[in-house]
Formats: sequence, C-alpha cells, structure tokens
Amino acid sequence: MKTLKIKLVTFIGVVLITLGASAQIDRSQMPEAGPEPTINLEKPKESKLKNGITVMVVENNKLPRVSYQLSIDNKPLVEGDKAGVASLLSSMLGNGTTSISKDDFNEEVDFLGASINFGSSGGFGSGLKKYADRIVELMADATINPLLTEEEFQKEKDKLVENLKTQEKDLSAVSSRVVSALAYGKDHAYGEFITEETINNVTFQDVKDLYKKTFAPNNAYIVVVGDIEPKEAKKQIKKYFGDWKKQDLSEVSDPELTENVSTTEINFIDLPNASQSEISITNNVSLKQSDEDYFAALMANNILGGGGEGYLFKNLREDKGYTYGAYSSLGASRYGVSRFDASAKVRNAVADSAVVEFIKEIDLIRTEPVDPEILKNAKAKYVGNFVMALERPQTIANYALNIKRNNLPEDFYANYLENINKVSAEDVLDVSKKYFKVDNARVVIVGKGSEVVENLDRLGYPIQYFDKYANPIEKPEFKKELPEGVTVSSVYDSYIKAIGGNDVVSTFNNMMMKGNASVQGMSISFTRKLTKDGKMLELVQMNGNTLSKQVFDGEKGFTAAQGQKTDYTEQQVEDAKIMSGLFSEQKVSESAELTGIESINGEDAYVIRLTENIREFYSVDSGLKLATETTAEQMGQKMTSKLMYSDYTNKNGVMVPMMLSQDLGPQTIDIKIEEVTFNDGVTASDFE
Amino acid sequence: MTKTIMLSFFVFFMTLAHAQKVEFTEYNLDNGLHVILHQDNTAPVVITSVMYDVGGKDGPRDRTGFAHFFEHLLFEGSENIGRGEFMKIIPANGGTFNANTSQDRTYYYEIFPSNKLELGLWLESERMLHPVIDEQGVETQNEVVKEEKRQSYDRPYGKLLEVIGENLFEAHPYMDTNIGKMEHLDAATLEEFNAYFDKYYGPNNAVLIVAGDIDKEKTIKMVRDYFGEVKPRPEVKRDFPKEEPITETKKVTTYDANIQIPAVLAAYRLPGQSTRDAFVLDMISAYLSGGKSSVLYKKLVDEKKLALQVQAVNLGQVDYNIFALFALPQGDVALDTLLDEMDEEIAKMQNELISERDYQKLLNQFENQFVSSNSSVAGIASSLATYYMLYDDVNLINNQLDLYQSITREEIRDVAKKYLSPNQRVEIEYLPKKEDN
Repeated sequence: MKTLKIKLVTFIGVVLITLGASAQIDRSQMPEAGPEPTINLEKPKESKLKNGITVMVVENNKLPRVSYQLSIDNKPLVEGDKAGVASLLSSMLGNGTTSISKDDFNEEVDFLGASINFGSSGGFGSGLKKYADRIVELMADATINPLLTEEEFQKEKDKLVENLKTQEKDLSAVSSRVVSALAYGKDHAYGEFITEETINNVTFQDVKDLYKKTFAPNNAYIVVVGDIEPKEAKKQIKKYFGDWKKQDLSEVSDPELTENVSTTEINFIDLPNASQSEISITNNVSLKQSDEDYFAALMANNILGGGGEGYLFKNLREDKGYTYGAYSSLGASRYGVSRFDASAKVRNAVADSAVVEFIKEIDLIRTEPVDPEILKNAKAKYVGNFVMALERPQTIANYALNIKRNNLPEDFYANYLENINKVSAEDVLDVSKKYFKVDNARVVIVGKGSEVVENLDRLGYPIQYFDKYANPIEKPEFKKELPEGVTVSSVYDSYIKAIGGNDVVSTFNNMMMKGNASVQGMSISFTRKLTKDGKMLELVQMNGNTLSKQVFDGEKGFTAAQGQKTDYTEQQVEDAKIMSGLFSEQKVSESAELTGIESINGEDAYVIRLTENIREFYSVDSGLKLATETTAEQMGQKMTSKLMYSDYTNKNGVMVPMMLSQDLGPQTIDIKIEEVTFNDGVTASDFE
Repeated sequence: MTKTIMLSFFVFFMTLAHAQKVEFTEYNLDNGLHVILHQDNTAPVVITSVMYDVGGKDGPRDRTGFAHFFEHLLFEGSENIGRGEFMKIIPANGGTFNANTSQDRTYYYEIFPSNKLELGLWLESERMLHPVIDEQGVETQNEVVKEEKRQSYDRPYGKLLEVIGENLFEAHPYMDTNIGKMEHLDAATLEEFNAYFDKYYGPNNAVLIVAGDIDKEKTIKMVRDYFGEVKPRPEVKRDFPKEEPITETKKVTTYDANIQIPAVLAAYRLPGQSTRDAFVLDMISAYLSGGKSSVLYKKLVDEKKLALQVQAVNLGQVDYNIFALFALPQGDVALDTLLDEMDEEIAKMQNELISERDYQKLLNQFENQFVSSNSSVAGIASSLATYYMLYDDVNLINNQLDLYQSITREEIRDVAKKYLSPNQRVEIEYLPKKEDN
C-alpha cells in the first residue's frame, strides 16, 4: 500500500509539472505572492555573571565563525571643552594589554585572521571558530587590563588633529557637525563636536579617568553569535570576563531635549568649494520606542522620506532631478531626545527651489490623509524587512539587547508586526503634525554662498549665518573669483559689443521705450525716454492717468506721484548723473568699481558698483546687462530692489531688452516692452 | 504535514554537512541566458539578480558613462510596469533592491521574503524583455546622474580613481571614468540609447541568479516562463586596444579643491583579476596594509609617524587590474619620503621571502574572509554572478581559498619583482587646490 501511495503522488506531481510547462503566464499582471513564510522569532540564551555582565548567546552553525560584542550601557557623556577624549580612548584601546605589548597584540590578532576593535563604550571581536577561545581571551584582557601609555596617547592625538583636516572642506562632514550643533546646542552631548582646540585640551590623565569612569562590567552586555554552544560561550565569558571588578559609577544625568526655534528659520553656512548644497530641515522631537505612537511615527517617516517610494524622493529626484536622493529620518531614543531631519544634497543653483519642495511635501503629509494604498505599502515594506532581517543571526541578538537597553516590553518584537499593521491614516496624520514641525524648524543649508544665498532671500524666512563650527556670524560677502584681466572697462566693452558695437550705438541721440505690465489684474503702461546728453523721463500710467513720473534734465530732477512732487536729493542727483546717457557704459565713471561675480537667476554676472546705492550686473557669458539694483532708504530701513533685463531683441541694430522685471518685495512685476524707437518721439519738453 | 517537517530536517542536515560548500545548479535557457540557482532554506529570503556583461568600458568613447546611465534608466519602467513603479512595487512587497555598475559589468537585484520569488523574476524579466526608454526618463535621469557625480566626485579625494584611470591607461577604455562625461550624456539621442540596449542587454549577455529559500524544480519552471520569451541578440564582440607595458616612471600632479591634506599615489597596471598573478597580488596587498601589524601600517603610521593613512589596494578588473599604493602624510612629511619608505618595503619583498609566520598569517586572514563572504544569500548571489561572468570560473566560490593556499612564498616574491618596480608605475601627487581669495 505504501509504495502505491508514493507512486501516485509522484504521478500527480509529474502531471502537474507537465501542465505547468504549457501554461502561459500573464505578464501584464503582477504575480501573486505565495503563502506568507512563517517566522520564528527565537530568543538568545541569556545568563548573568556576578559582576553584572549579561551574556546573550545566539547559536548559528551555518558558518564556522563566532563574534563577541561588548556593550557597556553608559549614558551619553558631555565632553565639553575636552571633546575628543572619548575618541582618543577608543583609538588607544585594543593596542595591547598590561601583559602583552602592543606589537605582540596586534600581530597575534592579525595572525588569527581575527579582528578586535573598541569604541568608547564597548568592543567587538570576531573570527574563525577554531580561534574563538583565544579571541575572547585577548579581547577580555584588552578590555580589563588595557595598555594605555603616554606615548600612544600623544601619537593618537596628533593623528586625530590631522584627521580633522582631511574633513575640513567636506560638505557632508561640515553639514553633519553643524546640523547637530545647531539643533541640540554646542554644549549638548548630541550637539558637541571635536576641534583641534578641544583635542589639545585633553591630557593623558583625562583619558585614563574616562576609562575608569566608563569601562565597568556593572551595566555591560556581551552578545555572542555564531558556531558555538550557549553553554560553552557562557563558560568562555565567565572565564575571561568573570574577574572584571564592579565599579562605583558616578551618576550621570540624562540628556535633555533642546527647545525648537519659535519660527522656522534658515541657517546658512558658506562652503566656497562646494558644488552642491546640503539641505537639512530639522527639529527636535521627544520620541521613545516605548511610546504608543512610535509605530505610527515609523510609518509617517517612511511615507515621507523612507526610500525611493517616499514623497521626498519622488518629488526631488524622480520628478525634479534636483538630487541623487532625498530622505528623511525620525530618531527615537530612550531619553526622548532625538531629531526629525529631512535632507538632500542638491546642486547650488536649485537650493532655494529644493527648500520649497521639501516644505511642500512635509506640509502635505501634515495636512492630507495618506492614500490607503501608500499606507498599505509602507506596512508591507516593514513586514518584509522584518522577515528578511532574520537571515542574520545578529538580528535576534540585537532585538534582545534593544529591549533591555530601551526598557521595552518583553514582547515588543513579538508584537512588532501586529503594531505596524494597526497604524491608521489618521494616526499618520497625527504624528506628522506632532513630529514634523515645519513651523518650528531649522532649515540648515551648507553650500556655496555666492550661488545660493541671493535666491534664499526670496523664500521669506529669516536667515542666520554661521561659520563651519556653528558660530553665528554677520552675513558674509559672497564673492566669486574674478578672472584675471577683467576690469570695469573690459566689462563695459563687452557689453557695448554684445548689444551691437560702438559704431552703431554712437549714431543715436535719444531713445524711447513703451511697454505694459499687469499688476493685480490692472493694466499699467510704462514709458521711458532717454537722451544722449543725460536727460531721462519715466512715466507710469493707468487708463491714461499718471501714477508716477520721474524726470531728470541732466542737472536736477523730481519724482511726482499721487499729486505730490518731490525734488531729487543731492544723492539722487549724483546717482542720476552717473547713470545718465543712452548707453552709460560708453564712459567709465570714476566711482565705478568691479566688486565680483554674483548670480542673477542662476546666471553668473560681473557686479559693478556705481555708487553706494547702485549696482549693475553684466552676464559673464553673454556680456549683456542683466540687472540694476538700487538701494533706497525708506523710513530708516534700507530697501533694495532690482530691475532685471531679459529677452534681448535686435532693434535698429541694437540689442534691447524687451522684458523688464522689477522686484517689489516678494513679488515681481514684468513689463513687456511693445515699442522701441531711436531718434524719434523724444522732445525737449519731455524733461520739463 | 509530517512530510514537510522531514524535508526541512533533511535540508538542515544537508547544510550542516556542507557547512562551507555552496551548492549550486547552473544551466542555459534556449535564448542563451545563463541561470545559476542556489538553494538555502534556512531563512525565508530569496534574491533574484541579473548581471549583464556591460560596463563603463563598453560603447563609443564619445559616449562614455552609458552603462551607468542605463542602470538609472532601467528603473524607469517597462511595458507592464508604469513609470516609477519599480521603486514602489519592491518595497510595497517587503523587498529591497539596488543596482551598481563597474567598468566591466552592471548588476541589478531584488531581495524579497521568499513567497515573492515570482515577483522578483517578473521584475527582472520585464527589465530584460521590454523596458521603456523615453525622453522623459532620459531627461530626469540625466539631472540625477549629474547630482550623483557631484556627490561622489566633488568630495575629498573623490577624483583619485579618475586621475589613476586617465594616467594609467593610454589606449584601453579603462582610461575614462565609469560615470562618464556629462557632455556625452547631454549629447546622446534616444536612438543611441535604444541601440545600446539592443546591443548589450540580450539574455545571452547576462546571467540570472536565484538564491535562497527556493524550491529548485518550481524555480526552474518559473525562470523558463518569465525569461524564455526574451529573444537572443547577436553576440557581443570586444576588441579593446592593448596597453603597452610601462617602462618609465610617469609623474603627474593634480589638484582637488575639497582637500587640505595632500596625498601620494603610485599606480601600477597589472594583469586582469582572473589571472593567478592577480591572486598573488591580493596577498601582497594584504601583506603590505592589511591590519595593524602589516608592514606599511606598522612602519609608516605607527612607528615612524610619517603617514596618517597608508594603503596598498589591488583593484580587480577584467582586462587589467589596478594596483595602487596610497598614503596621506602626517604633518609636514614630504610626499617623496612616503614613496621612498613604501618602496623600501616593496624592495624587500622583491628580494627576500616573507617569513613563514607572515605567510601563515595571510592564509588565516584569507580563510576568515572566505568564510565571511558566504554569510548571506545576497553575498552568495553576487559572488556566483561575478565568478561566472568575470572570472569564467564559477567554482571559485568554493575553491578560492585552495587557490590562495597554493600560492607559495617564492611566488609572492617573484610577482612583486615582476610587476612592482618604480619604473612600471604612475606617481601621482594629489594636492589641495590653492585658494585665490
């Protein structure tokens, strides 16, 4: 009977396979998933030594190797003006013991093909199973009886100072330092950073003290993963770490949450060598893994910027092409001190637009309920990643460790998937409002100021400037390098050449331009008349009524608006004289000065300062005049505005801008020129 | 029910018995697609990956960077997958994905919980069969790639490889950067992109790997269903110009605006990665700079405090390997001093045998690396594809350690002597760009 049954099964199997082979697949449909794999969430074997060490073992015999992870559960320490002491301690550890010289120690670790490394609150050793016993022995010895020498201290100190220099101009390094420092404050455990000065404050004694203060078994965990029986692992740890003496540890206070800014502001840091700007929109949050809304927060952040499917990536990369990647992160910590951060590296020219898009997406997730399918997909991603992470035996060890260190319920990971699946669209909206504080955020931008800052002004946020070490500074002047040989007259020459050449330009005595603009739905006409000998008229009208009129006759001038006539001040007369003439660039005024290169709507332009109040911009590429900027004092406040020239068109042999754009605060008025005449339509009475 | 348990027990013991050996099955579809399956049911994870035999070195030289650009384009969509859906479908099914491009090959992969195996095959077959390549995708990805270039090249020491390439190669396309020139991408037409796809993305120019928690028989059938209909393309023929050996030291100075500390490099052009000599050079690089007790680290960084960092890298490529010595000076140490010090150690290797203990140390280090390299199905898949396509010997996944163990101390000395003399290299002074104001 038995044989027959097996044969039958085989037969059915063959039939099925044959049938399957001829079946056609339907490519237009995404294939259905098979049955969910069952997951087996094991627990590490756990035990505790008398000196306080908790040992956790995950046996996995797939490969003949073992790893040992030592974590000492210290609170974050404020290093203050000795920032770097922890870093020095880590690099000095693992270089010998009181009974094994440095050279012998390093040589033996390498010989075993193993690695043993230390941080300032733990260490990690790994290698082949056949050497495991010796690896733990070496690691324990280096932990309990480290060889700390003055000579080694000096060496590591020198190296640390030099290593800092390798990052001096690194966009990512500068950005990450400044963002944390600004968000948490420079004297906060999470905000402080290492400088040459703080390293130099550290003494050998400081390092030894830190070791004493932090390296103790009291709150230590040792996680063993690999081809080893739990019993044997425990025996090893007991044998080598068992003698490590408990210490009286001093009380360290918990880090505190730094308050967010009261209104959103831009923090700009100039890095002149940067070809991209790194943007971080950040605010501090109080979020713990044990919080009820933790899972909703995970989902919300993932939907906003967790990956290639996030709002940020889809907009800033896949739609706009501003960046290689845009993501967000939302930290959670046992102290409830962490940050939300949305960031990307974008080319300098689009830094301002990228900020707008970032804010737009953050606003979106805060105000619009998430599409049910997007939420479903976000959950599925976490479920899948959770399942796949179990391939690594370290995962269950990390879970167990995490539960202990973050005071989580024992069933935190057993209920993880269930809790993910419980999150509703409403929850996502709630946590987004709670944690993504778009109205109390810092928009930290590190980039090339000369290409970025001008456009940032338009965003309407207050801008604060900082140096690369998060110290507040006055707004710096952003200059681009001027190529050699460029002078005011060479800029003027190329401008005259670009518009038609001196010969053509000199044939004209006067000029008139007429155009229209639409302001808040009303049509406004604009007339400008100029003469070679320096007279000027500018008339703004609506339905035939004059709104404003400016006249300059070469010596004196006035402004008339709303029935009031005001004579030019001395300064205005002076400015008007310098600007006067059809093409004022035909002569170089004494006060004119070439001050640098700035960008006008993304185009590099030479900047010529005519007077204290007037600057003009000439395209580096085309030579054409791109803008005139005037600064006027109004009610004690300096106001600058720009008149921009574009759409240059040939009129009577001269290139004339057919579009004038005047910026007025946040808005711009475009004047479209309809008519241009030379040596016609201008009379002396125009300037009376 | 009982039967299933029996089966998994059996698999478990199988795995135990061959703790180290990676079992695999390989075969060809009729259209020439090479398929390699590796079954490991210990965790519910599966990877589907395709390696195409096309990289930065392929294509016309006024169109560099195409291979990498394609890596971006081929996530845009297919006839059955809408624009942007690739990146949505994969996470929505609990998976992760990525792709990468080198001078020699392009590699795409998805990792899923094992019940999504068929989805992975569908995605990769859609990409091979009929991706959508259109103006919109080209325009967006053009901008994205420019940002990628800024991000990866305009950072401290980001141009090292570029400088090595353009100076070490005079005829072979390895002289161009993998990411290519942006003006080449700007100038490229849609027709050129389509022609490139037709030429290099045929099934017979690719290998498909399925590894992890699979049922082999079912997988074979699914692979045929999804990939069987892709039409084969004419064989890709390559005839790259050969490089003349370097016989005189070439000295180069170059500048980087993003650094403050200079660097010195000595780069050698060597036989390709599948040659025995290339494996010997792996051992030489480990001897020189692998670990704190290695000769260069110990001498330059630790004892004499001349260098902040020192490395001897053996960068594997199909046609020529690049072997490079690299050091950052500490303080005011002259770059020449660093080179001299490094040369002194190489000269020793050329004239004396390394000690028995150092030799054993190297073998232990390679054994540890070998064991760790097979720790995930994703790692195994990538190794299988690489050894099959770029080394022409898929069995290296199991034999690699034997190969290293067969290399003698004498061979190490001879190879160092044969390739690593100062007159066979390019010396590069990599300096901070001066600030003008």
